[in-house]
Parts: sequence; C-alpha cells; structure tokens
Amino acid sequence: MKEASAFIIKSVSIDFARLGKGFNLTSLTNPRIYFPLMALALLLLVPPFLSRYYLHILVLIFLFAAAGESWNIIGGYGGQFSLGHAAFFGLGAYTSTMLFHYFEISPWLGMFLGALLSICLSWGIGWLCFRLQGPYFVISTLALCEVLRYLILTQRWLTMGATGLSIKFKGQNPWLFQFTDKLTYYYIALGLTLIAVYVTYKIVSSRLGHSLVALGQNQAAAEAVGVNSVKVKQIALAVSAALTAMCGTFYAQYIFFIDPDTVFGLSLSTELALFAIIGGVGTLWGPVIGAIVLRVLTEFTSANFGEGLAGIQLVIYGGLLMAMVMIKPEGLAPMLGRFYNRIVAVMPGSTHGKAN
Amino acid sequence: MGRPTSMNLLEVKNLSKRFGGLQAINEFSFNAEEGKILGLIGPNGAGKTTLFNLITGVYRPESGNVMFDGQDILGMKPHQICRFGLCRTFQVAQPFSNMTVLKNVMTGAYCRTSDPAEAEEKATACLQRVGLAAQAGVTARELTTIDQRRLEFARALATDPKLILLDESMAGLNHAECEITIALIKKINEQGVTIVVVEHNMKAILSLSHYMAVIAQGSKITEGLPQEVVNDSRVVEAYLGKGFTKC
Amino acid sequence: MQVQIAIQVIISGIMLGAIYSLLAMGLTLIFGVVQIVNFAHGEFLMIGMFITFWLWSLLSGLDPLFSLVVVTPSLFLFGVIVYRFFFARVINKSDEAKIFLTVGLSMVLQNLALLVFKADYRTLKTAYSDLFFRVGEVTIGYPKLLAFVSAVLIAAGLAYLLIKTDFGKAMRAAAQDPQVAQLMGINTDRIYMLAVGLASAITGAAGAMIMPYFYVFPMVGAHFTTTCFCVVIMGGLGNVKGAFWCGLILGLAESMGSYFISNDSGLMISFILLVLVLMFRPQGLLSKGRI
Repeated sequence: MKEASAFIIKSVSIDFARLGKGFNLTSLTNPRIYFPLMALALLLLVPPFLSRYYLHILVLIFLFAAAGESWNIIGGYGGQFSLGHAAFFGLGAYTSTMLFHYFEISPWLGMFLGALLSICLSWGIGWLCFRLQGPYFVISTLALCEVLRYLILTQRWLTMGATGLSIKFKGQNPWLFQFTDKLTYYYIALGLTLIAVYVTYKIVSSRLGHSLVALGQNQAAAEAVGVNSVKVKQIALAVSAALTAMCGTFYAQYIFFIDPDTVFGLSLSTELALFAIIGGVGTLWGPVIGAIVLRVLTEFTSANFGEGLAGIQLVIYGGLLMAMVMIKPEGLAPMLGRFYNRIVAVMPGSTHGKAN
Repeated sequence: MGRPTSMNLLEVKNLSKRFGGLQAINEFSFNAEEGKILGLIGPNGAGKTTLFNLITGVYRPESGNVMFDGQDILGMKPHQICRFGLCRTFQVAQPFSNMTVLKNVMTGAYCRTSDPAEAEEKATACLQRVGLAAQAGVTARELTTIDQRRLEFARALATDPKLILLDESMAGLNHAECEITIALIKKINEQGVTIVVVEHNMKAILSLSHYMAVIAQGSKITEGLPQEVVNDSRVVEAYLGKGFTKC
Repeated sequence: MQVQIAIQVIISGIMLGAIYSLLAMGLTLIFGVVQIVNFAHGEFLMIGMFITFWLWSLLSGLDPLFSLVVVTPSLFLFGVIVYRFFFARVINKSDEAKIFLTVGLSMVLQNLALLVFKADYRTLKTAYSDLFFRVGEVTIGYPKLLAFVSAVLIAAGLAYLLIKTDFGKAMRAAAQDPQVAQLMGINTDRIYMLAVGLASAITGAAGAMIMPYFYVFPMVGAHFTTTCFCVVIMGGLGNVKGAFWCGLILGLAESMGSYFISNDSGLMISFILLVLVLMFRPQGLLSKGRI
C-alpha cells in the first residue's frame, strides 16, 4: 500500500516536471499544444458567463464523462464488458449520503470511504465473475448488481428502501459539499473528468495497461507470456470501481436525492457502458465524446418533446446503441481523431511533415 | 556455457491426464537436456498439445511430476511458469490481433521489466533476432502466416526463456518457409535456449533435433537419437505407414 | 393440511415453471443456433401479450386461445424481421457487440411500447377467468391450467421438431458447426432466420396464454428476461432440454420462496441460484460440456 502511494506520487510529479520542462514559448506555436490549451481555457473561463440551464447540462456531461471513463478502464481497455457498474456508482452514492444523513460526516470523507468500499466490492465481484468469459461475464455482473439493488431496496431500516434518501440543502458549505451556485459543481465535475482521463492515461501507458489490453484480446496468449490475468483484471476493476463510486457521491450531492432504482439500476449500468460504446471503447477520449453526444441528445429531446413523450429519450439511446454496434463498433473517437489530426496538420505552426 | 555437465532442464515424470472416458496422456515421462533440442513426434491426436498444456499449467494432471530448473512447477499457473523461464508457442498462432507487432512483443518483454522504454528496447531487439524488425508497426492481424510464426517466436524470446516449447511451428508453411523457420530455431538454440519442438513434419524435426521422443495415444513409444527413432518399427507402425511428410 | 399446502405450492410452482421453460427454450434456441444472447426476449413476450390484449379489447372479448392464431404468426414474422435487419448484421462480430445490440433493442421496444401504450397496467377477463379446478384443498385456476397444458404441448412439439424433422436436424447442425453445415448444403442464413422466428413465435404464444392471469405493461418483459437468463444459464446456454427442466425447477423455487420467504423474493432466488451455478458449474447443471 505504501509503495503504491509512493509510486503514484513519484509518477505524478515526474509528469508535472515534464509538463513544465516542455512548456517553453516555441512549443506554444504548435497546434498540438495550443489546441488543447485553448480547449482547456474555454472550459475554465467561459462557464462563469453561462446560464444555470447550460451549466446544468455541462455538469451532467462531465459527471457522466467521468463515470464513462471509469467504466472504460475495465470495460473498454480490458474488454470486460460489465453491465453491473451501477453497483459501484450506487455504493458511492449511498455511502456518502448515509454517512451524512446519520452521522453528519462530510461527503468528501464519504466519497473517499465510498471509493474504499467499492474497491472491496470489486474484489468480491471480480472473484466471482472474472472466471467467466463472454456473455456469462456480462450476465453475472448484471445479476450481482441486481442482487445489491434488491438488498438496498429491502433493508428499509437502513436505507429507507424505495423511498430513497434525500440530502437537506443547508446553503453554501464547501466542507459539506454543498454550494449555492452551479459553477462550483461544474468545476468539480470537470476536475473529476480530468482526473479520470489522467488515471486512464497513466494506466494505459504502463505495464498494467498493456497487459490489460493484451489479455482483453487473447487471455491464453497473455498468460503464456507471463501476464497474471487475475491480478491485472482485479487492479483495473478496483481503480474503475473507486472512480465510479466517486462519481456516485458527486451525483448524490448534486441531485440531492437518490433511490435504489436510479443509482443501482440496470438502466444506469447500461448508460455507463453506452458512453464508451458510442464514443469508442478502449480510447482515451471516447467516453467524453459519448457523454457529450448522449447528454446533448437527451437535453434536446426533453426540451423539444417534453412531458408528452415519456420514453422517447430511451428509444433514441437504444436506437443509437444498436446503430453504433451495427455500423461503427469502434465508436466515434477513431473517426474524430483522424479528423482532428487533419485539422491540426493544416493549422499554422504545425510541424506535420516538417523535419524538426 | 557455464555448467560442466549437461543437466536436465525439464523433467517430466509419469504425467497422466484423463478427459471423461479418454486417457489422453498415460504415464508420460521425458527429459529435456539443457541447451539441446528435443523433438517430439506422434500421429494426429496423440496428445502432443495436451502434453504442452499440462506442462505449462493450463491443465492439471491427475498424477505425475514436472520439474523445471530444479523447481517443482506442478500446479503453478501459466504466467508463473513463464516467469520461471519456461515459455510456449501455440499451434495456431495467437497474436494480439489489434496490436502492432512491436506491442505484441512488448507484452512478452513486460514479463521481465516494468519500464515501457526498456520493454520497447527489448522488443525491438527480439524482432531483429527473428527478422521482423521491418514490420514493427504493422498490425498483427495483417501478417502472413510465416510472419505470425516469427512473431510468436519473438514474443516468446522477449520473456527471456530458458526453455521454449514449440507447438507445430511448421504447420501451414511451404518448403522455403520451413527452411527459414528451421534455421531460426537452430539460431535461437545456439544462443542458449533449450527447445522442445513438436512437429508433424518429419524432415524438419529430424534436421532440428539432437534427440527425439515419440508419443502415440498418450503414451511414449520410444526415445533416442533421431536416426534410431525413425527406424524403429513401432514408430512406423504408429504412423501407419505415413512415414515422411513432404517438406 | 400441511401436505395440501405443500402440494399447492408445488403445483403453482410447476405451472409457473412451465411458462419459464417455454420462454427459456426460445431464448436458448436463439443462443444455440445464432450465438446471440437475446436481452430483448422479454419484449417479444410483451408484444405477444399486447397483441392478445388489443385483440380481446377490440374484438369484444376474443379468447386468448383463439388469438393464438394471430399472435403466433405475427411474432414469427417479427422474429424474422428482427433477424434479417438486426441480428444478421452482427453475426460475425464480437460477443459484446451482439449483447449490446439486443440490449439496445430491448430499450427501444420497451420505450416504444411506453410511448404508444402508456404505462398503464392492463389485463383481460375471459369467461373462465375466475373458474378453478379443485382437488381436495388444492385449487388450480382454469386459465393457469390451460396455459400449463399449452406450454407442455408446445414444448413437446418443439422437441419433436428438433429431434425428428429434417428442419430440426438442420438447425442443430447449423448450431454445432455452421461451416460444415454449409458444406452439407444447409442454408445457414435461412436456418438462423427461421430459428429466431420460431423462438419468437413460441414466446408470443406464451404471452397470449398468460394474459388471463397477468397484467401487461411496457416493462413486463424485464422481469421475465432476467428470470429466463437464470434458467437458460442453469440449463446450459443452447441446451433446450436443460432450459425445459430448469424452468420447472426455477418455477418451483420461486413458488416456495413466495410462500416461505416473501412475495417478491422470487427474482432474488433466481439470481442467487444463478450466481451459485456460475460459480460452481458455469456450463450449466445439465450440460455435459465445458466452457
């Protein structure tokens, strides 16, 4: 445990040092550098001028982008398509909310504890499910999540069952994870997404990530060249679980109400996988793209069709899922990536094709 | 080469495996001498791949013993056995299809190091050893059969093995490709890797092996020097006159 | 008295189980032949139920047994269409692609039903809805008995089809080894299409039969899909005989659960059994193969 933390701290500091070193004025002329910087600037500086409505959409986009990125670690890169990730989301949401409800414990602490509990849950789920392949794995994760949902639903004395738990709004209180303006929530959600993307990036460029991708493609071959598939999958799932749980806590703190059907439900599990499938499984930015596409679509349909057509959003989600799977199973990211590369190549300052 | 006397790197004693009603492997024993090439032949369905699966921990035998480099490796998982220095290739090439050739080999290199730069360096070196360096950026799915075989070798070599189990490396190759593969295997052996090779192709295995063993219906028929084995009437009988396959 | 209660529980269980068996046989047939895990199976049932309901509602009380004549071919056609336009496109893709296709289909069908029919629960009543058989203290509702008998007959018919007819043999051949089947002159694409159509038809028929004693609403399929999965995995994916027997077993377990534990413990029991089977015998209780 200690060496893991030391390793993480060292690794992150090396990254920051590298970032600082490479950050000289000449590099700023390269579109590969200034495009992302511009995007970051937009994300940081524009929102204060947006209305509550648009901020709300952005919060949801980044919340679900972060959750989708977390799923992507084990589901996309690892090829272990879980339809039970709501188990971690719900566990995070309920842990922080119950600790706050019964003991007035700060949800930040609750978030941390929720993540820890999710890691423990992930050991159990991994032990049960990783021995299974293909559809059996998918169904078993689904079943286990449903069992958990049922437990939460029926332990009314603890969790209030189907009535759900609400969080009383006490006004601006950063320690209690409550803010009067949506902007703060937005920055936190953005931060969560950036953390999730960064963690994914670190994993993917390491031995762990490489082994994970290898065993996702051919487990027998990976084991034959020394990959401890059980350990690799367990670690990836643990990381994924912890991040997903953090998103669950944020959800609870933002929506102020949780109930078993929403945070432990199969629709949520499906949605978590959907972001990566639409955006591109096993790609770094896929889930973010997927979250943007899906949330914008959701807002558009509920704004235009409103109450009269309950269910239309899910028809569109389902239809999109089917279409992606049939036509573009690799998701939108590869295509958008190529498009991005082409634009960057023709931007001023580009070093594409030029000798350095 | 270090040791004054040649010792047995791999010792398999009385290995037995049953699948339902079928006795797939029956009290099979053999030794692989360090630094040499042992050829294992036998008709189709004799149990050669099953034997490899037993040795590398994919299946558990009902009885018997496997000692590798002085260690009892029975019951260990495949990845642990690989770390001990015993690696295997597959009868049907098993590349990581969506990865590049280089990344494929890096997976093996990661067995010995956790640093991505080191892994890449080692992978490149292994690719050069097998002659695939030019294909480093190609996606594995697009390789020809012979190149996929070479990829299997390179990936196995990246794990710094003391012994490699080669399963039917010549299957699907034409004459020229066979020759190239034989030369490659010999080269790898000369660099110090012990090899146990399973093969259908008689001519190839005769030119490769320092000594041979014959398996039929799960049991060992005979063993010894290549010329002895090939002239043994029991072996000819086991093949029912198939004798020499075209190389 | 205890014996009577025990018998009642067992009979209810077997009645319930027969329906599960029928649904599971359809699901396992689709998996066995086309290698697709149909997450939308419950929605096929829901469609069958809705058609039955509307026929009853619009044709002043048409008995579900008669609407079978409409429902069965309609669902057969539906299955064929679903195969032709959707399943056929992912036949050669990864397992996950197939799963997510049917998950998407399930979402689309459920929510289209929601849009069109609204969320209200509907049921129908027939002349014999409230009649029941009585043997001692044990009662068996007439509609349930009819459904049970029909389920058993259909299951027997399916078994005969699979074992004795050429079509059934062709289906089994295509399930075991598509390439060899094609070499033998079997048009695997057509077999797949017919298999999916057949499975849907059976499922639709089940829907018609349970209408008299069930409510129909857009989400009714979900409960059945999940129970079906438990049955199918317990029986072995692709194993039709296994699906039949395990359907009965699960029906019994649910009935006993509802009596001894609580009314809604049924699904939980199925899941727990599923988890146990996945842990100790993932190839299924009645399968001979390995995964």
